[in-house]
Amino acid sequence: MFEAPFMRVALLASVAASLPLSVLGVYLVIRRVVFLGLVLANAATVGAAVAQVANWPPEIAAVIAAVATSFCLGALPAPRHVAAESVIGWAYAAATSLTVLILAGAARADADTLHLLYGNVLAVSRSHANGLIAVAIGVGVVHVLFGSRFLLVTFDAEAAQVAGVRTRLWSTSLNLSIGVAAAVTVHEIGALLTFALLTLPPMTALLIGRRIRTVFALSAFIGLGAVWLGLVAAFQFDLPPGPLSVALLALAVPVAGIASHWRS
Amino acid sequence: MSILTAERLCVGYGRRALAQELSFQIDRGEILGIVGPNGCGKTTLLRTILGLMAPLAGHVHREAGVTVTYVPQRERLETILPITALEIVLMGRAARFGAWQRMGQRDRDAARRTLARVDAEALGPQLFRNLSGGQQQRVILARALAAEPDVLVLDEPTAGMDIGSEATILDFLRDLNRSQGATILIVTHILPLVLNLATNVMLMDAGTILCGPVNDVVREDRLTALYGVPVHLGQVAGRRVLVVGRAGASDV
Repeated sequence: MFEAPFMRVALLASVAASLPLSVLGVYLVIRRVVFLGLVLANAATVGAAVAQVANWPPEIAAVIAAVATSFCLGALPAPRHVAAESVIGWAYAAATSLTVLILAGAARADADTLHLLYGNVLAVSRSHANGLIAVAIGVGVVHVLFGSRFLLVTFDAEAAQVAGVRTRLWSTSLNLSIGVAAAVTVHEIGALLTFALLTLPPMTALLIGRRIRTVFALSAFIGLGAVWLGLVAAFQFDLPPGPLSVALLALAVPVAGIASHWRS
Repeated sequence: MSILTAERLCVGYGRRALAQELSFQIDRGEILGIVGPNGCGKTTLLRTILGLMAPLAGHVHREAGVTVTYVPQRERLETILPITALEIVLMGRAARFGAWQRMGQRDRDAARRTLARVDAEALGPQLFRNLSGGQQQRVILARALAAEPDVLVLDEPTAGMDIGSEATILDFLRDLNRSQGATILIVTHILPLVLNLATNVMLMDAGTILCGPVNDVVREDRLTALYGVPVHLGQVAGRRVLVVGRAGASDV
């Protein structure tokens, strides 16, 4: 099935999208802000929608929108009377409604619009797949170099700040890398799979992993396995690969939950 | 010699000041206990001193080159993370290094030694989230010590502990102060803890502070007025004790 060039490119794009999202998502799950992934994916969609209306390059607009959103959410002081996740919920609602309104007002509400909202990994071009690979390598390098700093600010940001670590810098850098990864993938694989890869592999890995390094490795492996299986099954049963991958990832969570419960 | 000085400090949230015009200094080698009733601004003052909150007015000055580490209330720490006690202590050392530096065997050995100092060496390979409250407290104390601090700041260090674990922590802090001259700052609502550990006390009430040696500041009449219940001070087995309430009523 991978003899066809479009399938090979789809596999390459899926792998390149799943690895950074599955690894970076671990931080989102640990920080209990999984919906930040959804917000960033939707912010990227807003950027791409604006770009479509204004005839700008959608990829650049998507990255700018996601990076700006992650920067703003990271820089804002925590509200005292509502939970941080409520602010993230607000940002999600605002981004989604804005996307629909922008696209509704656009003259070209066609297949491009559907692609923008739902993505289609089977339609990814080789150049776009290369872009995803570049981002995956970049995220990998940043993670290898500064992963210990990201963990430091994730585990106890205040103690790290008191000890002299520039927590705002590292927290914003982490958000930015998540923003960039989400922005470049959402246009190719859609907001649903982007959000699922940021959330479900880390959840599954945290349920069964007993060491932090194992969790990161497992999360990457689960994300990778799900998109590969999704592609194979989609080809065999003539189903859309994105939702199929999400369904597999969703299935992995209760399985891991049962395994974890059984083991303990 | 003053290691930390606050001048005309005003602390609070937004536009609401909890305490104003606070001026005090913390000397090298002292153990300062910050106590007061709920809502008086103890934690807000601590967070301002630590630089986690900006003061509404005034400023805090730290002596140049002073290393401060913070032991927060352990309930605040993330327990989703499958991280071992040793890895947590290593985080304390990592905070001393630049982002590009890598930790090696020497750092792991030092982290193990720090765990041994708080009688927790055996906990090193265990997951932090599986430890008891007292064990977790010792691990986060070891994390703070791993950074070799000049000033150790603790927020409710014995909250939720049994008396055995509490005594272990207090004895350790006392030894640390005596043997290494460590400056220790403790925020707590447990008065007896401060009475028997601190050299100086800061009593906070309704936006004002009274700061000085324990014997000068902690007096029955003051505590009675502050907490609105009769407070009696005494000694048992060489340690200060506090009895709250009228005779025949509940004792603490």
